[in-house]
Amino acid sequence: MINMTIARITARGLFGRRRFLLLLPLPVLLVALAALAQALGAEPADWAEPVLLGLGVAVVLPVMALIVGTGVLGAEIDDGTLVHILAKPLPRREIIVAKLTVAVAVTAATVGAAMFAAGLVAGSARLGAGLAAGTAVGALAYSALFLALSLVTRRPVLLGLLYVLIWEGLLSNMLTGTRVLSVQHYVIAIADRVGDTPLLTGAVSVPVAAGMAAVFTAGGVALAIDRLRSFTLAGETS
Amino acid sequence: MTADPRPSTVELTNTSRWYGNVVAVNDVTMTLGPGVTGLLGPNGAGKSTLLHMMAGFLPPSRGQVRLGGEPTWRNPSIYRVLGLVSEREAVHQFLTGWEFVLASARLHRLRDPEGAARRAIALVEMADGQGRRIDTYSKGMRQRIRVAAALVHDPRVLLLDEPFNGMDPRQRLHMMDLLHRLGDAGHTVLFSSHILEEVEQVSGTVQVMVAGRLAASGDYRTIRRLMTNRPHVFAIQSTDDRRLAVALMGQESVAGVEVGPGGLTVRAGDYGTFTRALPKVALREGVRVRRLLPSDESLESVFSYLVAS
Amino acid sequence: MSEAPARGGASPAGVIHDIGYQRYAGPRLGRRYAVRSLYVHSLRTAFGLGRSAKAKIFPWLVVSLIGAVAAVLTAIRAQSGQMLVPYVDFPEAITVLVLLFCAVVGPELVSRDLRGGVLPLYFSRPLRRGDYALAKLAALVTAVWLPLFGAQLLMFLGGAFSVDGLGAVWDEFGDFVPGVLYSGVHAVVFASLALLIASLAGRRAVAAGAVVAVFLATTPVVGVLSALGTETTRQLAALASPMTLVGGVGDWLFVPPGAGTDPARFGPLYGGAAVALVTACVILLLARYRRVAR
Repeated sequence: MINMTIARITARGLFGRRRFLLLLPLPVLLVALAALAQALGAEPADWAEPVLLGLGVAVVLPVMALIVGTGVLGAEIDDGTLVHILAKPLPRREIIVAKLTVAVAVTAATVGAAMFAAGLVAGSARLGAGLAAGTAVGALAYSALFLALSLVTRRPVLLGLLYVLIWEGLLSNMLTGTRVLSVQHYVIAIADRVGDTPLLTGAVSVPVAAGMAAVFTAGGVALAIDRLRSFTLAGETS
Repeated sequence: MTADPRPSTVELTNTSRWYGNVVAVNDVTMTLGPGVTGLLGPNGAGKSTLLHMMAGFLPPSRGQVRLGGEPTWRNPSIYRVLGLVSEREAVHQFLTGWEFVLASARLHRLRDPEGAARRAIALVEMADGQGRRIDTYSKGMRQRIRVAAALVHDPRVLLLDEPFNGMDPRQRLHMMDLLHRLGDAGHTVLFSSHILEEVEQVSGTVQVMVAGRLAASGDYRTIRRLMTNRPHVFAIQSTDDRRLAVALMGQESVAGVEVGPGGLTVRAGDYGTFTRALPKVALREGVRVRRLLPSDESLESVFSYLVAS
Repeated sequence: MSEAPARGGASPAGVIHDIGYQRYAGPRLGRRYAVRSLYVHSLRTAFGLGRSAKAKIFPWLVVSLIGAVAAVLTAIRAQSGQMLVPYVDFPEAITVLVLLFCAVVGPELVSRDLRGGVLPLYFSRPLRRGDYALAKLAALVTAVWLPLFGAQLLMFLGGAFSVDGLGAVWDEFGDFVPGVLYSGVHAVVFASLALLIASLAGRRAVAAGAVVAVFLATTPVVGVLSALGTETTRQLAALASPMTLVGGVGDWLFVPPGAGTDPARFGPLYGGAAVALVTACVILLLARYRRVAR
């Protein structure tokens, strides 16, 4: 099913590098801010939107997914160790699925836990569960997208940042039609549905959100598998 | 696909690869069979490109590259019988040597990964260092552990891109011995190099590549002899060039003499006879030879002879 | 006498030939020239000049986006006579673009040198470690400021041509100058922080992500703090994020009193905080380059 050897190597590669530790502050900040707001006695209705959506869904989830999603494959492409994985009689699908699983697991676990905790503080466990569910779906869609990006271009983080900041950040707030193509809105919609709370309102309907997330995931995975099949090594490197 | 009766054959047919205007590999046709083959050529000759095409990491722009009858591009099943040791040294730094070879064995879905890994590590004499992380290895150790990982599934075909980079002479001898043993056992081994001395010790065939083209194939000693049978070119400066030229033209070993402002350019057929005859001729004519330079001693000019043929 | 012909170039024993090697005895340009060259070179790198076409795409894309915004504003002004976004509000309006520019150009300037291990090459020249850091910082500040200045200049020219009379043009100029100064403040604060973060990472991708993360993650903090707590907390909330901190400074210095909601008593605090932030970033940057070995 999932190639455990590849998953293990990928996970060790992620955790072994310092870059991952640098991003733990983000989920911690989210929880800390929620706790602070609660401690200061503010109404959840006041701070739920900026903290849960403005920080959690708009910043913490995409940035984490970006660094992790481009790191599971991009790092190996950059330093040339991908050859060792590719020169094996493994179907490329297996490699992509294993790496995607690691990326989704890491992102969903860290950000999901933080979102759950923040939701718990903001309202109820139900809200927390809703946020965690939305985060999991978002992690899936983002990871597939960024995994595909790291095979398609040489600067995947740059393009990912452009997508998150410009497309999802600016445009989808200004042009309502583009919301259908924005992963953040899927997350909000699903969190709203599962969490059943007045604190969040989704802008797209749940079936659309789930369907589009599936499209992003399937599309990203299919593109990544195809690109991996055609992976080329340059000629003389020296 | 019916299995080819000789799955260890690599066939290239009219293979070319270009990047825009640059032709890296130019119409190469060769067949590699069991035994050790050395791929020789100066830097930039297209050896790595050729190896990557054979290993399925680069599609040919034209022509075919087949392993055991199947094309190598977009065909992961060839890795069941193919092992590749690429030029780039990179290995997952955080793994120990043992873990790296074991992972390789597991990814090949071998029935007994630990046993295969142990055997491969013993083959490259890395049993002492296998417990340490790879980022503590020296360059030669890293090479050897990569060879172990490539050998773990006992591939019929082994491709090595400049495998002796960074190895000391003892390690090089050992590696060469290992490759020969594999070749004698019926495996197809191809390694590339631009150092003549490494290829000299190859007992098998040599493929010479220059500027993307296959310039010579066959037994190394035969090629050497073919090269030595070509005219050798010498540049001579003396006290009386024209007189010397006239005298040299009378020698049997001399194929041609050109008189120029910088001295004489003499083409000699037989290297040994000419170098013995020259001092005698000079002495007889009373000409003092100031400078005698063979103009074609560098590897480059040797190769360009092969291309011009 | 028969002698074996000497093989050209081979001497019997070891001899070192005098082929005319001479030490350079002329004037050497020294440290100031090195710093100036590094500054100019970094500035060119920031905009991709002297590099391949791919390196130019991103910076010029952001510059054209900024220019496009300015052009649209100018056009609207020309049509309706109304200034949608005054000069002093312009940098804040496009703050996301400025952030993106910093996040990409900052790593381009410093992360590549860290990754490539070329710092020993720099430091073995008359260039000191502190000079290197300051030259790179100056280059980034300039690179961030130039597009803002250009956009505001465009707006000024458009505005100057659409008003009548020299007096009106002079008024326009009076609005333009504070806008430019404010862009400068914006550039200094953003660039110092971005360069510091970028100098910690060797991979450009990680550095870019980290810069964006730091800037964006602090914004909701401001949102939370401004939504609750006392009036004082609300006023001070903007200190928490670089983007709003600069906004606070702008309100203090460049917006005429009474026009905004900000009481003047916190203005100097914002100014002081901004200066403190920049100073801290510069000190940390210098410390970073004093420590880093390669």
